[in-house]
Amino acid sequence: MSAVRSRSLAGLLGPFFFLFILFWLVPLIGGLRLSLHSNTLVGEGVFVGLHHYRELMEDARYFKALRNTSFYAFFTLALILPVAVVFAHALQSLGGRLRSLMQFVMLIPGLTPPAVLALLFLLVFHGRQGLLNQWFVIPLGGQPINWLKDPDVILMALIMQCAWRWLGFMTFFIHSGMQSIPGIYYEALEVETRKAWHRFRWVTLPCLRHVILFCLMYLVVDAFALFSGAYVLLGGSGGTADAGLMLVSYTYQRALAFGEFGSAAAMSVSVAPCLLGILGCVVWISRRWAFKSGGHKV
Amino acid sequence: MISHNGPSHRSFERWYWGLWVLLPMAGLFVYPFLWMFLSMFKGNQEIFQPTSLLPDQWDLAHLRRLLAGEWFPFWRVLGLSLFMAVGQALGAVVLTSMTGFAFAKLRFRGRSLLLVACLFTIVLPRQLLVVPLFEWVHSIGLHGSVWGVMFPGMVSGLGVLFFTQVFRQVPDAYLETACLEGVSEWGAYRLLLPMLGSCLLSYGLIHFILAWNEHLIPLVVLGGAEQQTLPLALASLYSSSLRFPYAALMAGSFVAMIPPMVFFLFSYRRFRDALSNVILS
Repeated sequence: MSAVRSRSLAGLLGPFFFLFILFWLVPLIGGLRLSLHSNTLVGEGVFVGLHHYRELMEDARYFKALRNTSFYAFFTLALILPVAVVFAHALQSLGGRLRSLMQFVMLIPGLTPPAVLALLFLLVFHGRQGLLNQWFVIPLGGQPINWLKDPDVILMALIMQCAWRWLGFMTFFIHSGMQSIPGIYYEALEVETRKAWHRFRWVTLPCLRHVILFCLMYLVVDAFALFSGAYVLLGGSGGTADAGLMLVSYTYQRALAFGEFGSAAAMSVSVAPCLLGILGCVVWISRRWAFKSGGHKV
Repeated sequence: MISHNGPSHRSFERWYWGLWVLLPMAGLFVYPFLWMFLSMFKGNQEIFQPTSLLPDQWDLAHLRRLLAGEWFPFWRVLGLSLFMAVGQALGAVVLTSMTGFAFAKLRFRGRSLLLVACLFTIVLPRQLLVVPLFEWVHSIGLHGSVWGVMFPGMVSGLGVLFFTQVFRQVPDAYLETACLEGVSEWGAYRLLLPMLGSCLLSYGLIHFILAWNEHLIPLVVLGGAEQQTLPLALASLYSSSLRFPYAALMAGSFVAMIPPMVFFLFSYRRFRDALSNVILS
């Protein structure tokens, strides 16, 4: 291709990267700067160095939030992905029109504002009359569980809500991925084996690698950015004994309820390497895995 | 439907086992929404019996009071939400498709660096940067303005990656022809756009839904009660009072679901095909 004229290049890239710098890069740097200054909202704070970070290291609530969020991220993944793969196969077994309908129905929860969902789930999780108690816990012979008050189950309730919300979308992605696998792969494998498990293990799963990676990343980032669900469901706090305290809710609380901007910024900044580390691991594992199972490198 | 060559179209198809798995799930997915819809006719006492579905009497009073703006200026809030979500989606589609085109079809220095920068906006979403974002938006005077929500929302790394992938699939031959005709890069981009209608629509749809559902950024940037989006208004209603008729909340939630659902219904088929063509290739 001929040399690109710099004027048109600037025209194409300029607007996006202008906003990128203004509303992503500057806040990021601002966050770094803020985290090194004392907690004042108006005007320049005093430079305090790593004080806020040291404070964080001693803040039990911060670690609680970090633990809750990681726990939440891990279990939503462990719950959603396998079920989504099963559901995608189930969808595959349905005929055209029925399949479209099912797909659409499953996508509805993902389309709904999280604030609305939280409202709905208030009644699903309600201590006595909630659906979960009335339909599942009591018929199975258990005592009604107060899902949103009992510190042992709050996180479970949040995880269930997340699974319910994203299951349809993940199924949708994985199903689309399955459809784009060329049939010839299966025919080739049929020469060697006819077991359904082998077809899944040696064709479907390796071909779905990219899609599953995408789903993984989406869910991890979504878990770390979780706000609305937990905020509305638990009335803006971390719930009983902070059992449902999430990183973003805690940051929000520190900054806008207590006015401690420096500490809040330090918290945001400290999450970044964690999240990058986790995602890096995910990508690294999936590459190794691809290499082992004989797929071409990503 | 793209193709019929997916897995398991042989051994399982006759048994419709999927139906047995999916039907109960579909029930679980639909029931809460059905219940929400029917709850807007109910009184508080009835609402707290989530296992009973049908209302005793079909009482539209709560919906009417909500629409009349008894608790918050309903139509203004709805209009503002729509304006912000649509504007943000349009802006994001235009900006990210331009960027994606440049990444996919033009060779220039620093290309991979910029691409990595876009990746970072996905990995570190602005929700995590909310505190410094708030401070920054405040200091450049966009606090309380819809632009303070919309501009940050347009910085979508996901969109850039999506459109990079889309434009990669367009054969280079089109561009070479355009170059021979003496069309500039900008002109080539505009020539290609009409070919990508469903991709533009799909991304617009996704972004609209994300923007419509966003809670934290509007909460922080808009501050105050004069300007609210619908999810915000509902959330603050909910926390305001316990004597409040829940039916109105249910009605409001139902209204909040309508725009994404309607947009999605209209573009579902194109959305599905475009996505499975792009993300998965």
